[in-house]
This record gives sequence, structure tokens and C-alpha cells, in this order.
Amino acid sequence: MNVLELRGVHAAYERIDVLFGIDLEVPEASVVALLGPNGAGKSTALRVAAGLHPPSSGDVLVAGRRVNGVKPEELARRGLCLIPEGRGIFPNLTIRENLRMMTYTGTPEAVIEERAFARFPRLKERFTQTAGTLSGGEQQMLAMARGLATDPALLILDELSMGLAPIIVEELYEIVAQVAREGVSILVVEQFASTVLGVADYAAIIVHGRIARAGRPAELRDDLSKAYLGA
Amino acid sequence: MIESHERVDQFKQEIADMKVRDPSTGRDRVWLRVGIALMVVGLGLAIGAYFLSHGASARIDSAGPAEQRDAFIVALSGVTCAIVGGALFLRYSLASFLRFWLARFIYEQQTQTDRVVEKLDR
Repeated sequence: MNVLELRGVHAAYERIDVLFGIDLEVPEASVVALLGPNGAGKSTALRVAAGLHPPSSGDVLVAGRRVNGVKPEELARRGLCLIPEGRGIFPNLTIRENLRMMTYTGTPEAVIEERAFARFPRLKERFTQTAGTLSGGEQQMLAMARGLATDPALLILDELSMGLAPIIVEELYEIVAQVAREGVSILVVEQFASTVLGVADYAAIIVHGRIARAGRPAELRDDLSKAYLGA
Repeated sequence: MIESHERVDQFKQEIADMKVRDPSTGRDRVWLRVGIALMVVGLGLAIGAYFLSHGASARIDSAGPAEQRDAFIVALSGVTCAIVGGALFLRYSLASFLRFWLARFIYEQQTQTDRVVEKLDR
């Protein structure tokens, strides 16, 4: 069964149409990469999937259930976790306080910290440091730690690599691969495709709000340059 | 691995048990329009009541005061419509504005922090 499925989804910001009937599937325990150039509609597709933006038509299915109109917090409480572009951390709070914010799910603070530090030991070293003073990579680690601390069943990542050095991006994608091996389904949006294709089971290329091509990463490498360069 | 399968099964079960309301993507916009319509109707009723009152019989018998009372009722209905319409309009236009304002506020705060951190790093 697909953990997440978008069927013929159209979406718009006021009167400007952004998505034009996209179909996307995230099978259980797999990593799906949604790739495409800037302004193609990748982040909007993620927002629709997470319930943050209502589709103008089409269906959003989570675990086989149509969830159009369901509040994002309802989906989050049940195990859908979105790590947004820009990380979504609280820059004025410390690492500890940022992690404490995740206790809204009912998970005890000690459990959240244990899970976070097991995966990201570097965060433990900077436990009391303000999140805004961390490096970009550490901020992204904190964002992932916050997301993973809630024990998600479906993880949605938006532009994980944005503004980060390639070595940090590789380190983060190693963690993504490790999380996927543990059985968490992952949908990841990326503008820079090379690293994510190394960990993805499936990929889809979105151009001008339409899925131009979908399949196994190896099948799509040639199409990527066309999508990005319009060749 | 068993744990993660259990987690996925639990996720599926929780999604299956979730109460899903009918999708109402354009509800805010509908209520906003209802608010505007009620304000216009209210204004129309108030103007109508003014003419009704002026056209009322001036005789000091039961007909004149009765017509005046009708005009009062129509005018009050107009005021009620306008107030309810105004409240609906404010509620749904403000909600949209405040959502935007909150998003912008968070973004600006983050940018400001980045700027401070950048200065501190130098």
C-alpha cells in the first residue's frame, strides 16, 4: 500500500495555478525524490501532501484514506512529519528548548532527547546553545532531530540541502538513508538532484506544475538535464 | 524492523480511525462573500426603511403608528444584517491577513537572527 498518494492534484495561490493534476505515489518504506527546477511546484506539492495547502481539485490519500480538508496538525499527530524549507526551527530558543517543543505529541522530553542525540551526537555537545547561532548543517540536524523525535511514519523533507556544504549534505542524506532502512517512508524535494538520487528508490521530475517523468533514479538521470535546462 | 512495521501499522490504523470532515477548501471565501452580501442587504433595508417611514400615513389612528413600527422593524433588521455581515467580513478577512502577517513575522524574525549571527561571526 502507498503511504502517500496524490491523485490528479491541482493547486493554486489565489488565482494563480501552480499544480496541474499531478500524480505521485510514496510506497511503504521507500524514499521518493521529487525533483525539478526552481518554481516548478515542488514545495507546493509537499504543502498539499502535508495538509498545509488545500488542493483546488484532486485527491490526497494517506495510508489509502482520502484526507482532503484534514487539518495538518491532525496528520502530524498521527505520524506525518514535514521538515520545511528554511528548517522551521526556533532560532531564539536553545537546542534543548527546540526539542522540548516536540513534547506536544505526548512523547516525554527524555525520550525525545535520547532519540535526537543517538542520531545527532553533535547536538548534545551544543545542548544549551541558541539554535540561531548553530551552523547551517547543525540547524538542519536539529530540524531533522525534531522531526524524527516524534517517531514519524511518513517524513517529508523540503530542500534538505539548501545553503549547505556538499559534505554536510552527504552526511544528512546518509541519515535519511538510515531512517528509510528503519521503515520510515520518505518524500524528499530537492533542487540539487545528484545526492538525493543516490538514496531514492523512486523519483519524479516536476516541471511547470506537471510531473514530466517518474520512475527509478537510474532511468531519470538523462531527463534531469532536460527538465532543468529546458532542452 | 518489527518495531517499524508496528509503527507503520499503527499509522495506518490511526489514519483509518480519523474523522475526516467534508473538504471545504473555499469555505473562508464563501463566508467572506456572505458577509459582504449581508452588509449590502443591511444597507438596502435601512434605506428602504427610511422611505417606508417617510411614506407612512401621518394619521393619528392605528394605521400611521403601525406603518412606523413596520419601518422600525425593517430598519432594525437592516442594522442586524449589517452588523452580522460586518462581523463575518472581519472574521474571515482578518484570519487571512493574520495568517500572512504571522508567516511574515516569523520569516523576518529568522532573517534578523541570521543577520545578528552573521555580524557576530565576523
